[in-house]
Amino acid sequence: MNTKQLKQKTAFIIIGTLSFIVVAILVIILGFIFIRGIGVISWEFLTAMPKDGMTKGGIFPAIVGTACLVLGSMIFAFPIGVLSGIYIHEYLSESWLKKFLRMMTNNLAGVPSIVFGLFGMALFVNYLSFGDSILAGSMTLGLLALPVVIRLTEEALKSVDDGLRLGSYALGATKIQTIQKIVLPIAFPNILTGLILSIGRVSGETAPILFTVAAYFLPRLPQSLSDQVMALPYHLYVLATSGTNMKETRPMAYGTALVLVTMVLIINFSASLLRRRINRKNKMV
Amino acid sequence: MTVIDNNIEQIKSDLIQMWTLVINQMEKARLALVNGDKNLAREVRMNEKRVDAFELKLDMDSEYVLMLKNPVAIDLRFILSVLKINYNIERIGDYANGIAKVAERLDGPVPEDILQATHLPEMFYTAQNMIHVSLKAFENSERNSVNHLFGMDEKLDKTNNNANAIICKLIQEKPDDIMLILNALSVMRKLERTGDHILNVAEELIYYFDANIVKHSKKNEDF
Amino acid sequence: MTQAEAKNVNVWYNNFQALKNINLTFEPNTITALIGPSGCGKSTFLRLFNRMNDLIPKFRLEGMVTVNGQNVYSDDVRLDEMRKNVGMVFQKPNPFPKSIFENVAYGLRVNGINNKKILEETVEHSLKQAALWDEVKESLKKSALELSGGQQQRLCIARALAVQPKLILMDEPASALDPISTAKIEELIFELKKTYTILIVTHNLQQAGRISDLTAFLYLGELIEYNHTKKIFLNPDDERTQNYITGRFG
Repeated sequence: MNTKQLKQKTAFIIIGTLSFIVVAILVIILGFIFIRGIGVISWEFLTAMPKDGMTKGGIFPAIVGTACLVLGSMIFAFPIGVLSGIYIHEYLSESWLKKFLRMMTNNLAGVPSIVFGLFGMALFVNYLSFGDSILAGSMTLGLLALPVVIRLTEEALKSVDDGLRLGSYALGATKIQTIQKIVLPIAFPNILTGLILSIGRVSGETAPILFTVAAYFLPRLPQSLSDQVMALPYHLYVLATSGTNMKETRPMAYGTALVLVTMVLIINFSASLLRRRINRKNKMV
Repeated sequence: MTVIDNNIEQIKSDLIQMWTLVINQMEKARLALVNGDKNLAREVRMNEKRVDAFELKLDMDSEYVLMLKNPVAIDLRFILSVLKINYNIERIGDYANGIAKVAERLDGPVPEDILQATHLPEMFYTAQNMIHVSLKAFENSERNSVNHLFGMDEKLDKTNNNANAIICKLIQEKPDDIMLILNALSVMRKLERTGDHILNVAEELIYYFDANIVKHSKKNEDF
Repeated sequence: MTQAEAKNVNVWYNNFQALKNINLTFEPNTITALIGPSGCGKSTFLRLFNRMNDLIPKFRLEGMVTVNGQNVYSDDVRLDEMRKNVGMVFQKPNPFPKSIFENVAYGLRVNGINNKKILEETVEHSLKQAALWDEVKESLKKSALELSGGQQQRLCIARALAVQPKLILMDEPASALDPISTAKIEELIFELKKTYTILIVTHNLQQAGRISDLTAFLYLGELIEYNHTKKIFLNPDDERTQNYITGRFG
């Protein structure tokens, strides 16, 4: 074996090992949570209110709360994010404004989530006097998701072949027609994936909801947008750090973690599944 | 230098070699006839095969360039004119060969008085000069010297037009030499045809240089 | 009548002058080939006629460009209306990821024609003109992306024909195709001459020779020579043209 082949083989082994380690860590974490958490999972755990200082009962309000927050944040972030992405990519020419917007979007994505939490509290809770509410929490989470949605929309639009845009213009289509009839249908699967991935991110966040919506203990379902709710990540945090009886709540915490992780995994899987299906369909339409 | 340049250079050099060979053939045929040199005549007849070989090679090489090199503009005109020049030069080679055959048949040199009466020396001179001038025009891309060829050919034609009268008179004067005289006539005819072929070459040269087709227009002016 | 004309056209991209004082007229039912080395401005010139250059930032034009006698750069021209009169076929076949039918119907739909009968008639007629009908008439609902490269390009030609332009611009339409598809496209272009005026940019000189009536040679943004294709390929007037077409450039 000469040196060239040796190098090749060494690099291959190193990269392979590293990839294996990454996968192994993920499997260990998931396995750990699964083994510790599966014991408390039951129909009651998923559908009942918490009882006895959260040592008994279920996490139903937290599941509902997280669902509300995810839905709310997407209603807020999706239209604004996608439209911004379209504006930046399709309408702005290469100029300082475009560069500036790109930079700010990237910066926004890099801001720690706790800062979003504080900002949400200052703006939505206090200044706009929404109070601790689903509305304030959704908007804060929406802000967090916004840069991701914008970036992924832009990427999705970028992957649309320019030749198709030119072809459309050459046939007398206007810009808006071209975007509507050609660009968006092609970019849609990728935009959708971006959206679902950002849902995954949003549903796991604790810090932004800490000061804007999350309730420590609220064994009832929300009635309106101005209600507080429990949420899975925050509930997990509470159970793990400041429960009434740490020993008693520990299994509940693992159960909650398992539910949260499963939710995120299901969302991510469905994203790739959906994209594959739409891609296949797109070729046929 | 492009790919096609190599082919064109090769073809040009082959054609020049063939042309030079034909010039030598004609000169040797003349000497054989005038001096009654049968060995020289035989040499001419042997060399005729080389002329034919050149013709075949040039045809093949031109065909090859047309087929694979997609010549256009000056390259295309070059190849097309080479194909025709090649044919005409080969025919002149045939005439040199024919004259050598005559020299072989005769029992000695053509007598001086018959040579003078038939104007054969002048005709040889003019025809050979035409071949030479046309070669130089081709070799050095001398467009202007092509025009001289038309005047030279007229001289040949004029002599040839009188050929029948000259030959009749000679036969009456020397009825014993009738075979010799008829052979001289055939040489005259061959030299005249040589001139015509050089004119064809001249027309091809004009096409190559100017992309003008003078073929039939020029002849019409002449006659 | 003149189908299209460029009068004293100068084009700049930023400070770079891409076209220098070009004057050219195109008669109806002719095929004109635009040839020249890469970057000589032939694509820029082609795209003047449907204002595709407008999309390029810092594009600036002086002079006049007319199609059907109408100045396409005048202020009262509506781009989408104007582009309907000028079809364009690109180097890379660019069918939309839609059905064959919808691809051809696209130009009509974006121009507000949705009548099913008109659409069907036009699609059939255009596909027939583009010599593709017999190959796809059974599968109009199939995705255009399932066609071969040559078929896709003919579909793109059909798509351009559907809006009934007068002038068709082709930017190296056969350069990405195999010889058989190329031959079909060339045959088609030659056929289309009866109805349309065609400008074609090509790097393939033999192709220019095979299909065009007139040839324009552009070099460094200048129009060096414009003449009958026969004349250009037998005995061009300008030495630069001769050097270019015989491959002795530079």
